[in-house]
Amino acid sequence: MRQFLFTGFNAFGQHNINKNNNSCRTSVLEICTPRDSNEYPMIIAPCWRYTAYAVGQRLFLQGLFDSQPGECLEVEAAVRIKALAACDNHCLVLLQNGELFKLAAKLRAQLVQIKLENPPIAAATKRTIFGDAKRIACGSPGEITHIACGSHINVAISAGNAIYSIPSCLHQFPVRQWRVQQLECGNEHAILLNGNGDVYSWGNGLRGQLGHEALGVQETPRLIDALAGIKITHIAAGGWHSAAISAFGDLYTWGSNCNGQLGMRVLKPGGLLKEPTVYPLPQLHDLPECCEAAQDADADAVCSPLRICAGSRHTLLVRSCGRVWGSGWTIHGQLGKQLEKRTYLDKFEAIYDAPANYDYNVICGPWATLIMLSK
Amino acid sequence: MFAAAAPLLELIKLLPRFADIEALLEHEIEARYILKRAADHLELGKLEGSSSSEEISYLIGALVDKHWERIHSGHFSSVPLVIRKVYALGCYFKIIFMLLESTSHEQREKCGAILDEAQLLGCTDKLYAKSKDLQAALMSYLDEDVIGNNSKPLPILAPLERISSRCDIPQLNAPSILEFRNSCYQAEQPTLLLNTINHWPAISKWRDLNYLLKVAGNRTVPIEIGSNYVSDEWSQQLVKIRDFLYRQFGRETSSDDNQEVEYLAQHELFAQIPTLKSDICVPDYCTVSGDTPSNVDIKAWLGPRHTISPMHNDPKHNLLCQVFGSKIIILASPADTPNLYPHESEFLNNTSQIDAAIPDFERFPLLRRTRFYELLLQPGDCLYLPPKWWHYVRSETPSFSVSFWWE
Repeated sequence: MRQFLFTGFNAFGQHNINKNNNSCRTSVLEICTPRDSNEYPMIIAPCWRYTAYAVGQRLFLQGLFDSQPGECLEVEAAVRIKALAACDNHCLVLLQNGELFKLAAKLRAQLVQIKLENPPIAAATKRTIFGDAKRIACGSPGEITHIACGSHINVAISAGNAIYSIPSCLHQFPVRQWRVQQLECGNEHAILLNGNGDVYSWGNGLRGQLGHEALGVQETPRLIDALAGIKITHIAAGGWHSAAISAFGDLYTWGSNCNGQLGMRVLKPGGLLKEPTVYPLPQLHDLPECCEAAQDADADAVCSPLRICAGSRHTLLVRSCGRVWGSGWTIHGQLGKQLEKRTYLDKFEAIYDAPANYDYNVICGPWATLIMLSK
Repeated sequence: MFAAAAPLLELIKLLPRFADIEALLEHEIEARYILKRAADHLELGKLEGSSSSEEISYLIGALVDKHWERIHSGHFSSVPLVIRKVYALGCYFKIIFMLLESTSHEQREKCGAILDEAQLLGCTDKLYAKSKDLQAALMSYLDEDVIGNNSKPLPILAPLERISSRCDIPQLNAPSILEFRNSCYQAEQPTLLLNTINHWPAISKWRDLNYLLKVAGNRTVPIEIGSNYVSDEWSQQLVKIRDFLYRQFGRETSSDDNQEVEYLAQHELFAQIPTLKSDICVPDYCTVSGDTPSNVDIKAWLGPRHTISPMHNDPKHNLLCQVFGSKIIILASPADTPNLYPHESEFLNNTSQIDAAIPDFERFPLLRRTRFYELLLQPGDCLYLPPKWWHYVRSETPSFSVSFWWE
């Protein structure tokens, strides 16, 4: 049994609100997803103008494509869909067999396979312990394992750890003993978490979203020095900001705080002038006390940060007790409709409690939040 | 028909019909959908408060928000013009829908700020036939009750007595164009030009801050906050000139009371406020290279005592003209660039890490090799700076300067 809850921008009919099953007192609304089936997991990738849903081989895009809200685009892939990455212009579709396709966000569009450049041979050269040059099997782009995109960036990563700015190869990470854990994109930047807990970033960092001290463009992946030595377990990229949580249960945010999305104060006391809006270096947060269970001695274990998720200008933190915390822009209901009168939150506040005995996952659209519950 | 007041109906008539903007929006799917609904809605003259009015007003707000995001993604110079045009159109419609809801003083203030953003971030050029008329009509409608309300008057700054002071560069008294070309422009020689802007109406008019309040008070401008732009505390934000003037000049002791220094710096104020433009004129020296005055960037620099621009250089020829107040300026030649420790980041590599006022020779030993030139810029003075010359600028009193940049 699964249930999808939604709050945020829905003016283009991206989500079908379940009219029968919604109490007006809840902060989130239940939605019905198209073609749901319990056979396969549902993959959802919301962008601003539409939302993409994949079940098995089938892909549905619903939103505004031409002239009316609620327009649908439906295609079928050759094999099961493994991952989606959506931006307003197109949707990237990764299949189970590692092939990458693109679907333009317009009516009657078809899946088009993406051909990636070969990675540079030089990068695949390693020395053996005896000093001989050793070629690593990396002749063709190979199977793609991770994808992400934003309005100004499209990234894919191969099983051989080649990083693509689609379709060119940007960088080759070591092929051995180096594993991609997570890849996320903002509007114009990308961040990557590897199996060691190191975070790399690249793209446009003019608003501090890369986590490097100097603002600027970073062409290739660069380790975020400020987080080096801290084992990061989960990352998120918002429009112009980023966030990470560590194995110690700490939360870090950096980038633009224009609407409080970093959980940092927006206005100076007095309310006339703003605090700085750009924080180029990761900011460590003191998390507020969570639920009653946290009063117990074993508090840390109960409410430690589990996952982090970011929209265009909002950030969500999921804690292990099932409570979801949010900060940032909420004028379109991004953080729940209970905040109707507020335009933003500039410190993390509890916005939703997941019911007990459910598995849950949180996804952010640019101006929306989706919560998937399953038993 | 609308139950709206007559002036508002006149404004609505100046909005585009969908046919006027259809070509512009050909590839803009959401703008086409939303602006069509809004334009048709207003054209049909549906009653205020009808059910779709609220929905369309929300959609327009979303369109403006989304295009604000688009304008802020990527480098500003590479944002497609159509996105900035849609933003401006969206702002116009948003203002009208807000005024249909209420025309209270507060609401007009909010609308005035949106109109300024339409101009600052959006592109209002050639949107449709009547767009300039709408812009002007909105401005006068929104400004109506803002000016002349009886708030406390601002000070009239006393004219400064000219003092003789150190000047490490040549001075010329109202040189001819030819003389300027030979001795300054071609020789790449920073020079203090005396008695060249005394005829500007600005010299006598702007010291009266109530005049600035009257002609510019309601406009929104970018302000730098914090003593200088490389410090961590520094930020930049949009504020109304009126609020800025009251905060920085309104009190008896406008400094020393823990107040943060705000600086209206490097802003193209004169394109935004034509009345102020008529108080100055582009010096003939700027056309020495055969350029027309229209290719000259004119920027305003208005702030209290102790605004600081750290040691930096600019790529263009610069004529810095002092309207009121005085500024200490420290210069260094482009030849000394390796001795000035420029910042490494892409944004700040035209800026030195040093504090030119108190050079730290321990931390920056190469500074000993640098030759600094110091001078005091007084009302009516102009400083000519060739491209790439390093300069540090600190205001000694409340100050208003106008800079002219040309290639």
